[in-house]
Amino acid sequence: MKENELVEILRGCAARKLPELDGLLGILRTTEGAAPYVFHHCEELAGLVLSPRYPLGGIVRVLQARYPKARLGVVVRACDLRGLVELAKRGQVAPDRLYLLAVACTPEEAQHCRCQRPVPNPTGWPQVEVLGSPAAAAEAHPLLVQNERLGLAERWAFWRQEFAKCIKCYGCRNICPECFCQACALEDPLWVERGILAPPFPTFHLVRAMHMASRCVGCRQCELSCPAHIPLTVLYELLRRDVAEMFGYQAGEDLSAQPPLSLSLTEETTPLPNP
Amino acid sequence: MGEPFEPRIVAFLCNWCSYTGADNAGIARMKSPPEVLPIRVMCSGRVSPEMILRCFRAGADGVLVLGCHIGDCHYISGNHRTAKRIPLVQRLLSYVGINPERLRLDWVSSAEAPKFVQITNEFVQTIRSLGPIRQELGLPRMGGGR
Ligand code: SF4
Ligand code: SF4
Ligand code: FES
Repeated sequence: MKENELVEILRGCAARKLPELDGLLGILRTTEGAAPYVFHHCEELAGLVLSPRYPLGGIVRVLQARYPKARLGVVVRACDLRGLVELAKRGQVAPDRLYLLAVACTPEEAQHCRCQRPVPNPTGWPQVEVLGSPAAAAEAHPLLVQNERLGLAERWAFWRQEFAKCIKCYGCRNICPECFCQACALEDPLWVERGILAPPFPTFHLVRAMHMASRCVGCRQCELSCPAHIPLTVLYELLRRDVAEMFGYQAGEDLSAQPPLSLSLTEETTPLPNP
Repeated sequence: MGEPFEPRIVAFLCNWCSYTGADNAGIARMKSPPEVLPIRVMCSGRVSPEMILRCFRAGADGVLVLGCHIGDCHYISGNHRTAKRIPLVQRLLSYVGINPERLRLDWVSSAEAPKFVQITNEFVQTIRSLGPIRQELGLPRMGGGR
């Protein structure tokens, strides 16, 4: 399906749904540009667009905290939906007050994001409508295979060079729909040195990777916004595979599945790997 | 240049089992390796990835995490989290090219003083064979902020 056809369908659905909602969060395009916007009136919907992509999960979190009773609609992509699922599990958003218009991404978009799961899979989400036709999963990052082939010394040589490019702008964290902590470990001088660019040991990146294990939904926003073009999602994806293999858990897939790293072994359904 | 390698190893010991195990090893006058610097934590579940990474950043050649056996944790399921977390940290280390053998997890009860001695000795051996982390990763000495 072409993007403009999809936008028309989306506007139709939005117009039908809007009267039942207190607002619909989406992207508004005007002559001045595009930005996230809460639509209140059907006349405004002519400006509702699908691109540029913008992670709306963080905005939903803020809106729900400010207006706890509001019934909010949100235009989401598959990755946004997965992101909301993980946020809901961690008590950051309330699914029962969120109506989702979930749009399947086009093959080109899936390619651009190297998305492995471009079709919204609303397992367990109470109110959601899926629009658009499913695109195939994009090819995985070539570095994923390459990294597995390299020996330890070569891996270190590669990642060291990549991490050395980091300017510590915190863009990767700021854009991430799953980063919501008030006190961020990456800002704590105990763990990450202040005032040193490209720290000799990549604590910043390894801490972030660990915090993303069982949480990262593979939206690739961090990597696309990194001014240094560090292939951050390769590490997150490798850990995502490990979490799937060790605990049978896929972040963002099922609202009722609990994040394994915060469960005890007795609450866990899959057996533990030997340390 | 040609300096003998003295490994520096940090061992996080949980208060209730492994620290007592280490203590009992001392009381029984068993010899445990001096390369190991013990840090007592209330539970092995307290040992965050941040703490482990900071040890490496500060120049530790190896990090050992010891806790109560599964089922014996003073906080019931603290070590369950450890058991899940540490293998992930090991994998992450290996993905960026840091030898995951530099991080070891094991369970030592208060009655297992000999096991404590055995594990620490084994680990010192492992780290000796791996060599200094600074050399392996080409790290400078950590400046300030100790
Ligand atoms: S891909 Fe990056 S931005 Fe998206 S959830 Fe994972 S870590 Fe966060
Ligand atoms: S976005 Fe890139 S440059 Fe900025 S802090 Fe993250 S990794 Fe570093
Ligand atoms: S108290 Fe020993 S591992 Fe939790």
